[in-house]
Amino acid sequence: MIDVGAAVALIVMLPSPASRLPMQDTTRGKAVYVKWCAGCHGDTGAGDGVAAAHMLPRPRNFTGGLYKIRTTASGQLPTDADLLRAIDEGLPGSAMPGWKGRLSDAERRSVLAYIKTFSSFFADTSQHVVPLKFSSPPGGGTGADALKVGRQFYDSIGCRKCHGDQGRGDGPSAPTLKDDADFPIFAADLHQNWRFRGGGAVEDIYRRLRTGLDGTPMPSFADLIDQKFLTDQELWRLAQYVRSLSPAAPPEVRDVVHAPQIPGTVPASPDDSTWARVARYWFPLVGQVIHKSRWFAPAVSGVWVQAVHDGKRLALRVSWDDRTESPDTAWLKFEQRILQTVAGDDSGSPPPQAEPWPDQLAVQFPRRLPEGSGGMERPYFLMGGATDPVYQWRWISRPRHAFAGLARGIERFDTLPGAPAGQATYDRGEWRLVLTRALATPDTANEVQLEAGRAIPLAFFAWDGSSGEHGSRMAVSTWYFLALDRPTPPGVFISPVLAMLVTLGLGLVVVRRAQRRGGARHIS
Amino acid sequence: MNLPSAIRRYAEHPFRQAVGILVLAYIVVVWVVPVLPGSAIVPKSVVLQYMVTVLVGVLIYVSDNEERWHRFKEPIQAVLVEPRLKLVRAAVLAGVTALVGLVAYGQVTTSVAAPPNLRSIHPAPPAEITFRGKAITLTGLENPLRQHTDSLAAYLAEGKRVYYQNCLPCHGDHLDGQGHFAPGFNPLPANFQDNGTIAQLTESFVFWRVAKGGPGLPREGTPWNSAMPVWEDFLTEREIWSVILFLYEQTGWKPRTWEKTEPGGGSRETGGGHD
Ligand code: HEC
Ligand code: HEC
Repeated sequence: MIDVGAAVALIVMLPSPASRLPMQDTTRGKAVYVKWCAGCHGDTGAGDGVAAAHMLPRPRNFTGGLYKIRTTASGQLPTDADLLRAIDEGLPGSAMPGWKGRLSDAERRSVLAYIKTFSSFFADTSQHVVPLKFSSPPGGGTGADALKVGRQFYDSIGCRKCHGDQGRGDGPSAPTLKDDADFPIFAADLHQNWRFRGGGAVEDIYRRLRTGLDGTPMPSFADLIDQKFLTDQELWRLAQYVRSLSPAAPPEVRDVVHAPQIPGTVPASPDDSTWARVARYWFPLVGQVIHKSRWFAPAVSGVWVQAVHDGKRLALRVSWDDRTESPDTAWLKFEQRILQTVAGDDSGSPPPQAEPWPDQLAVQFPRRLPEGSGGMERPYFLMGGATDPVYQWRWISRPRHAFAGLARGIERFDTLPGAPAGQATYDRGEWRLVLTRALATPDTANEVQLEAGRAIPLAFFAWDGSSGEHGSRMAVSTWYFLALDRPTPPGVFISPVLAMLVTLGLGLVVVRRAQRRGGARHIS
Repeated sequence: MNLPSAIRRYAEHPFRQAVGILVLAYIVVVWVVPVLPGSAIVPKSVVLQYMVTVLVGVLIYVSDNEERWHRFKEPIQAVLVEPRLKLVRAAVLAGVTALVGLVAYGQVTTSVAAPPNLRSIHPAPPAEITFRGKAITLTGLENPLRQHTDSLAAYLAEGKRVYYQNCLPCHGDHLDGQGHFAPGFNPLPANFQDNGTIAQLTESFVFWRVAKGGPGLPREGTPWNSAMPVWEDFLTEREIWSVILFLYEQTGWKPRTWEKTEPGGGSRETGGGHD
């Protein structure tokens, strides 16, 4: 009896939840950590695992006790629930994966307890970790009035200094940003909420505005409420405005870009009103980590693609978010910091020198539509090879022009005389480019002939010059398809109606015969 | 009458069995197959082929036995003739007619789809490869590092480093093919946690796949799509054997081993398993 009482008293006296965990939990947590986390976060939790130099943002350094995703006030430690959320869901847009479903409940909880041991701040039990109280979102958050209020505060609080006028991370301060460990950091692209570290819902955004992202230049705006500069409701409006910049749901990747046939001639301008009526398709791009020299920090995370044709020409519109209209000397220092931070294949030699590279985009086709292996066979997706070249349209931001050629692997590109027409607009963090070309061309040996009703393989590559991207340092996609749709033939209803009549007739005959036979059987 | 036996009696009828099998097959082809690792959504035309095959199979089964065939036809016959089932009869007729109309409409307005991505996941390996100019016989080859039991820990550490610095963006830190670059590729990077990849392979096969990458695949492996790099351009022979050690250690799978059957050299693979 006395023992139990003493034990209870002891537990009550221990204030920190971590120290209440039985000892063997940290041992178990350590085993999980060493096996699954240390490769990135490092054996001592300093964020310096063997993989760390290959990623941007770098893995968290746990020794500092600074965490981005919290429900606690700026500068405070996170709650256990905050840490568990980061471990469960991961940090989208970074290399940090979600571990829910991959590690058991017990494993995730024990590793949580273990990573807290890396920082003495968690051991300091005089610090009480209390989550903030959050109000719930006011209604009408998608209405024009609400968004207008949100936009007003977006301008007046200075979000645009970092995130830019349209929220694409291209504000005037953006090229100067560093995190607390002195690594370069991008102001988030507010049009891609599926890459927000703490989640893309209105509630998540509101919380980040209240708490800030510790260790980064992204501040907390809670003090503005205390100073009565804005109300809690107005902060919600701001969060709702930010939310409205991204699509309602994260873009789904579909295999085939459908190009409807339109009357008249295809639009050559990226800002033609036709484009507002055509479906757009999202294709994710990832780092070129296949050929020397590899690139682990691609700047362009994907392209939006639209296409139309008029029976004679194809127009392809590619738009993508890019913080800079490269070359832009304002970003040269930032570019140098990126090249210093992200390891490549030339480790040992000094990092490549920052240069004012242009932005580039490539659209890739096979030279001919595939015939063999059931229409599956095509050249190597990564710019073909020495014996099986690919046909590419290239566009470059300076001197701004489009051209075409054959690529035989990443290193070799031979320009062809025929080029697509290209028109591009750079608008506050976004490139919009339209490339047009005749469906049929004289050079049938080298230039793909665009036939309606066929699945035409295509792939995309993008370079952001101000992130040091050039040559093999680029973002790549796999093969997708383009389909030039035929207009719906006028006689489209004839054959279904015929088929239905025949079916109904046959059905009636079957029933009649069955009944006659059934009836006969009844009589006999 | 308790519930299980009622269900059993209900399911004993060949007609209901046939319907059940068809529904099940549809569910498997349309919803289960796409979530299996390494597979994709089954194109509509292929679904149709599968369903026709299943239907033929079911018909062979029910007609194989006189009594079963008779019982199978009973409900059909009843719907066709019974006066009290007049409404059901009309509904079936209208339903089938509408279905045919829909299918036919779908056929004429069909839009272009991506060609099916049929690929052999584990194509036959060559008997011998040239690794940076050196000939290596794959048949019968085991991971040479496993002989040095006292240095195994060092090799594993090296393998871990090689994995994290090279394989991680695609195959992921859980080795389940879900690295942060994986969504950009098709086919998706291999999932080593799955029992259909390294658990089924000899280490020499894995060595071949790592050394020669996507471009080293035969045609049936769709080399034009595979993002797997040619690692002999980046890694030494020992680094590749080390990272292979790490793959098996980290996932807990055992490699398939070669079993010497004849003294003359003919060897055979025997199965590996999870521990
Ligand atoms: C592939 C590398 C990688 C692995 C493996 C990894 N992490 Fe991370 N982790 C990261 C990166 C990168 C970040 C920083 C992301 C950012 O700052 O946006 C991070 C951040 C975190 C954070 C900080 C969240 C915050 O709010 O700041 C926690 C906690 C965390 N990781 C826990 C873990 C645990 C526990 C494991 C093992 C079960 C693990 N990580 C494995 C890469 C990794
Ligand atoms: C001093 C520069 C700066 C200012 C001012 C700033 N931000 Fe940020 N913001 C950043 C940086 C840098 C990041 C990226 C942090 C990261 O990558 O972890 C960020 C990230 C974000 C995110 C993504 C959060 C997440 O979960 O990843 C949102 C949303 C956001 N900011 C909104 C705002 C809004 C709204 C304002 C104005 C009230 C604002 N920011 C002001 C620099 C700034």
